[in-house]
Amino acid sequence: MNDNPDPELEALFAAARAEMPDTSRVEYAFETRLTARLRAEQGESVFAWAWRLCPFFAALALAVAWWSHSTQGAEVYSRIAAEAAPSSEELLAYLTGDR
Amino acid sequence: MPLPRADAKTPQMADVSPPTDEELVAAARDGDEVAFSELVTRHKRRVLATAARFARDDHQMDDLAQEVFLRVFRNLGKFRAEAPFGHWLARITVSACYDFLRKERKVREQVSLDASVLELRDGRIEEAVAAGRARELVQWGLGRLTPEEQLILTLAELEERPMREIAELTGWSEANVKVRAFRARQNLKRILENSHER
Repeated sequence: MNDNPDPELEALFAAARAEMPDTSRVEYAFETRLTARLRAEQGESVFAWAWRLCPFFAALALAVAWWSHSTQGAEVYSRIAAEAAPSSEELLAYLTGDR
Repeated sequence: MPLPRADAKTPQMADVSPPTDEELVAAARDGDEVAFSELVTRHKRRVLATAARFARDDHQMDDLAQEVFLRVFRNLGKFRAEAPFGHWLARITVSACYDFLRKERKVREQVSLDASVLELRDGRIEEAVAAGRARELVQWGLGRLTPEEQLILTLAELEERPMREIAELTGWSEANVKVRAFRARQNLKRILENSHER
């Protein structure tokens, strides 16, 4: 396995391998902790998604407000123009530059 | 994916012979909490043994192993049973350990090392081996390597995995793994020599 055997390093690795880490304390009730974390993650995910969607809804609200404002303005302008011109022919002539 | 239900029947209850990992995965995918728990029970020792090679304490080991099984749970739908579940789990474990090492490196750059580890810097390799502190010294030295080097040396030297297997687990080419392992050994040797020459 080793392309560059170094006796000192090999001895160190061999000794480190022999020192098996003790996992028994972490093994105890591992499944319980994992299930709790899974549940917490599932619960959090709804809020996380809601939070992530905040900018989208803010942009949507701004777009609706802008659209509402702009259509309201156009409506007012068209009402003024309609009232100013007694008939549609007169308005057409005005707009086309005939009068 | 919905959270598994505790009341669902496991394959173990229906069959006399214990269910295979693949059967348990299929049941867990359908929302069987007991089946997923059984999978965890079967494989946790192996995952924890690998996590222990990278973690500095029990808390990190627990956190890392939990991260592995969380990834397993999130990706149960992607498991195709073309290879044994153990291979798939090993790839997820290595990927989670690699991410852990990269995060740790950022932390290490910000936080100074604690005094007990610094004490080892003055010890020679033979002395550390004789004193039963080889693992500590190796961990200290590995901590000074790049995450890629740490991962490869841990898998190759501490877990004694063949280069070909490391290549499969990491997704790197075998030649790349060999070159990185060679350089990592050289770097580790230099770090350990420099530490006790001071």
